[in-house]
Amino acid sequence: MRYVDEFRNPQLIEKASRELHAIVEPDRVYRFMEVCGGHTFSIFRFGIQHLLPPNIELIHGPGCPVCVLPMGRMDDGLHLADEPDVIFTAFGDVMRIPGSRGTPLELKAKGRDIRMVYSPLDALRLAQKEPERKVVFFAIGFETTAPSTALTLIKARELEVKNFFVLSNHVLILPAMRAILESPDMRIDGFLGPGHVSTVIGVRPYEFVAKHYGRPVVVAGFEPLDLLQSLIMLVKQVNAGSARVENQYSRVVPWEGNERALAAMAEVFEVRPFFEWRGLGFISQSALKIKHEFAPWDAEVHFTLAGLRVTDPKAAQCGEVLKGVLKPHQCKLFGRECTPERPVGALMVSSEGACAAYYQYTWQGAAGE
Amino acid sequence: MALKPREETLVFLNYGERTLSDDGCLTCGNVAVPVRVLKVQGNVAEVEDRLGERTTVALDFVPDARVGEMLLIHLGIALGRAQEVE
Ligand code: SF4
Repeated sequence: MRYVDEFRNPQLIEKASRELHAIVEPDRVYRFMEVCGGHTFSIFRFGIQHLLPPNIELIHGPGCPVCVLPMGRMDDGLHLADEPDVIFTAFGDVMRIPGSRGTPLELKAKGRDIRMVYSPLDALRLAQKEPERKVVFFAIGFETTAPSTALTLIKARELEVKNFFVLSNHVLILPAMRAILESPDMRIDGFLGPGHVSTVIGVRPYEFVAKHYGRPVVVAGFEPLDLLQSLIMLVKQVNAGSARVENQYSRVVPWEGNERALAAMAEVFEVRPFFEWRGLGFISQSALKIKHEFAPWDAEVHFTLAGLRVTDPKAAQCGEVLKGVLKPHQCKLFGRECTPERPVGALMVSSEGACAAYYQYTWQGAAGE
Repeated sequence: MALKPREETLVFLNYGERTLSDDGCLTCGNVAVPVRVLKVQGNVAEVEDRLGERTTVALDFVPDARVGEMLLIHLGIALGRAQEVE
């Protein structure tokens, strides 16, 4: 059995880095996108880019749900918190997302009943404890998080809890990958597939990327050696002109995913015709809506939402950064108008957003480049 | 909380370094926490992370979890089991 010690073992990392240098073809540029914010964070944290040959470029993808949530959606949610009988609940990271009138934390300080929960099940329990109030859970996340929301709704129905509502902002990673692959200025040679999202969806769903777009996908773990091994697998495929889906992270990700979690999602959710992603615009079939059968718990049915749209400032170049056309520090606003303390664009919002990770770990280095 | 022997800690770390009290980004779903099953009761399990912190998790998605097994949990729900690495 191998341990994480090995996945961080300097000799093994050095060896993998040397192998990578040896196998890249010098007259070729390899552009790989890591889809998931967790990978972006690991890459910066461990300084992975310094271990790569100069002709491997890592492009930081859209895999941070906090970053891609449009501000209008946050405003819609926070409007619900204005109603006196509502308790607005959300995860800790949602508490720091700015809406036009401030973050949930700031609104809480102004007297709204806004509470942080660790699990949607906690929000449901709160609703059982406070039967006179309406508890709204602001649901956000990819396929890793959506099954928990689905399970919570199934339990709400079982327990006949009538004062619990979910505002679903769940998004799907595959349509986002498809949108990036379809975009005319796309320049990506392969993908590092998300680790824990794949625990739920498995490895098979990435096959369209290989089949239809001819790009390899390697589902990758989060340790330095995981990332280097996955890049070696990608480079080998690109060199051989092949496009397959491989699983580097098999110690966690089963090929088939988790059938029960997928079944719960299918029972509760249906795909929305389209949904707006901050930085990427509207993407068809890219988000989850609560099914009619669960309408009594759907905040979109129970409350009237304004359906607000707040556009990002024109100068924000998040879309280009997401597609790999620009590096974060090449955005005109980076580090000036747009910082982690006062984010203008989506990618500065959470620590796993490309611009925030770049700002935190490498900006000084990059400035001298 | 008793300190775990090195071997045991390494097994946990193999599946990620998160612990139950970590408050990272929950929404990206890359915070699945590796835990060991201590007790199974119906569809909930009592589990322990590598620091010995305990919690209960829903087993709806991994209903056949057994005592002693390593699970990956996210938001109080078990999402999958850790596979042995050769
Ligand atoms: S620096 Fe700010 S505005 Fe520019 S791309 Fe990054 S997040 Fe968007």
